Amino acid sequence: MKLMTWMKSAATAAAMMLAGMASAEWAPSGTLKLQIGFGAGGSTDTIGRVVAQVMKEQTGWNVIAENKPGGGGVAMFTAIANRPADGSIVGLGVNMPLFVNLVNRPEQMKFDLDSFDYLGTAGRAQLALVARGDAPFDDIDGLIAAAKDAGGAPIAFGAKPQELLMRFISKQAGVDFQFLSTKGGAESSKLLLGGQALASFASGEHLPFLESGDVKMLASVNNVRHSYAPDTPTAIEQGYDIYVDPVYFFATTAGTPDEARSALAAALAAALDSDEVKTVVQNALQSPIDNLGPDGTAEMMKAGLVNTGKLFGK
Amino acid sequence: MPEIEIILAGLGDAFQPVTLLFVLAGVALGQFVGAVPGIGPVMAMAIAIPFTFGMDPLAGIGFLVGVNKGGLVGGAIPAVLMNTPGTPDAAATAFDGYPLAKQGKPLKATKMALYSSVTGDTFSDIVLITVSAPLAILALKMGPVEVLGVMLLAFAVIAGLMGASLIKGAIAIALGLLAAMVGTDPEHATPRFIFGNFELYDGLPLASVAIGMLAISELLRRLSETSGRPRPAIALPRHQPRADRSVSWAEYWGCRFTIARGAVIGTILGALPGIGSTAAAFMSYASAKAASKQPASFGKGNLHGIAATEAANSSVMGANMIPLLTLGIPGSVSAALIISAFMIHGVQPGPFLFEQQGRLIYGLFGAMIIANMLNLLVGQLGLRFWARVITAPEPFIFASALLMCFVGVSLASGGLFGVGVMLVFALLAFVMSALGLSVVVFIIAFFLGPRLEISLSQTLALLNGDPLKLLNYPVALVLMALAAVTAVMLARRRDRGHDADENSPSKPDA
Repeated sequence: MKLMTWMKSAATAAAMMLAGMASAEWAPSGTLKLQIGFGAGGSTDTIGRVVAQVMKEQTGWNVIAENKPGGGGVAMFTAIANRPADGSIVGLGVNMPLFVNLVNRPEQMKFDLDSFDYLGTAGRAQLALVARGDAPFDDIDGLIAAAKDAGGAPIAFGAKPQELLMRFISKQAGVDFQFLSTKGGAESSKLLLGGQALASFASGEHLPFLESGDVKMLASVNNVRHSYAPDTPTAIEQGYDIYVDPVYFFATTAGTPDEARSALAAALAAALDSDEVKTVVQNALQSPIDNLGPDGTAEMMKAGLVNTGKLFGK
Repeated sequence: MPEIEIILAGLGDAFQPVTLLFVLAGVALGQFVGAVPGIGPVMAMAIAIPFTFGMDPLAGIGFLVGVNKGGLVGGAIPAVLMNTPGTPDAAATAFDGYPLAKQGKPLKATKMALYSSVTGDTFSDIVLITVSAPLAILALKMGPVEVLGVMLLAFAVIAGLMGASLIKGAIAIALGLLAAMVGTDPEHATPRFIFGNFELYDGLPLASVAIGMLAISELLRRLSETSGRPRPAIALPRHQPRADRSVSWAEYWGCRFTIARGAVIGTILGALPGIGSTAAAFMSYASAKAASKQPASFGKGNLHGIAATEAANSSVMGANMIPLLTLGIPGSVSAALIISAFMIHGVQPGPFLFEQQGRLIYGLFGAMIIANMLNLLVGQLGLRFWARVITAPEPFIFASALLMCFVGVSLASGGLFGVGVMLVFALLAFVMSALGLSVVVFIIAFFLGPRLEISLSQTLALLNGDPLKLLNYPVALVLMALAAVTAVMLARRRDRGHDADENSPSKPDA
């Protein structure tokens, strides 16, 4: 434990030094805009604003957070992809909306995954498949059996990829589900708790209910288990080779000069490693900071796009 | 329910000077941004959230609740004084408020709005504090089919506001629903009518449409009418009798049933997440008019019209906190912002909230009641200020209002794209008014459209192709029957010809 703590603080110190050194060599010529691909007030906005604030304190750069909503970040990344690569704008978005559009309507998109230099990730939305606490099953196969008995089961979902994941499962298991499209996790939880849905998707909204026993978790549908429920297996582990892994990532325009890119990545890493950002992100996402770094982020994006293609059957 | 010591400790926290100060600051800011056309309390809350990161949770959340509550009062001010409501909730306030203001009684109209708003708000806060748990269970039982019933009933009641021509009303509703369809469809997640603009992927920006159609179009029309020597926007008589500057107790008491009805409608709709204050405001207005002995006086400066709207749209907020605190389900955008403020402070709403955070919650309840009182106090001063401002020459007023609308919309919608949408819809409103199509009916349909569509889609999924399954939803059936009866009654009344022409729901003519 002590070693871990020491290593962590050493890593922090190194990152800070890197940030310090990098900023000595490279600094944005004017302001650095941290654009947020969603409107003010949501979890992405919260992350973007606290990162911008801490980055500004740590580097002394004039970092400004700015909301660019539209298409879950597609509008913002379209603009970022098609501007000069001078390292003056960093975008914060979520991978899934980009994947969904790149898979389904590539001809309409004015960018692809190579249009960006990736800087890092803030963390993931830990997406769970949940049922009511009094449900007579505890995992995906149990849900399928119950649905077969009842001749179908209403499932609430807040975004298309969640529905597609369930369709993948229903195809593999040969069972019918009815899909209730909702405006998000909160509404899905309402339908679950109200008994209108037999199962639903949740990313954090369910935690208090998990604790009270009103809700049980059937599976993590990310490609990893969740930090708060290390004993609940993923859908992949339960025999369904599919996942939905929404990740909050930072990127800038492709072709940004190396020194600018590494300075930005280092400054971002240092900010994400600060206690303030850690606390706010944990509270907003109900999930810890997980910075994959520039190369890790690029790999995650590639793998995620392939997986999303599979979700859509392409 | 937590122990009495915890409740008292929480209420004590609410009276801490720091908390009081932040609640006061929130109320004052909320009234201000509500009164300035274009920005609005939701935007102000979104901007303010990052500033509460480092604050004490009660002070931070109390501040946001103050902004929200102040905004409920402030929102009526531009609607009454300039006929430029910034949100559809306040559009019905303008029906009667603006005619009163033009008669030289802006203070009377805004004070009525203030009193009924605070009354409705306090009523729903008391409901929240006392019976939120059973109400939350009731809200859970209202599933997609029942919500569809409520939406149909809302549309039927609001159809009563359509004015003289059934056909024109139907056209306005259809156009509103069409505009609501822009963006991703809930069923297949296919983008509709976006024409390659991913800014429209999530739908038309609400602020752009509301401000464009309700405020900009009116400002442009009025600007085009100004000529010659600048006149004051509202002329106040020099020695105005007191009765025209204030609302007497008799007048307030005379509206008691209207206010109570509005508060009940607002509280019920507020407790059901996702329906929203627009439906509440217009349902209350329409039912006040239907219940009135002089329906002809509505739209010409009837205090009941203001009271009905403001009591209803303000009582939605307190009731919105019911599903928020007990289930963690936000009922509106501002409720969602309050949830994110809770989460940032490490507090997650849900079943254990009252046990684990009893002190914070009762502190918040205390702060809400205090905010209502402060709303009255700040309002008394603020309304006088705004009534002075509006006596400035028209060019100043209109030009600054236009500027604020541009700034507010570009803030709320992430840049110039939203401003462009605003201008397009201002133009559309202009054309619609010229053709005698009701802009307000369009806006209502636009705001209620997405919820109607999504609950219809959910209902179809639940019925799974078998209409007989509807029999499993008796509450929904009753609501749908009520909607049908209302629609038929309204159509009959229209046929008999009375009540047909006296209130056009498009803006009262200036």
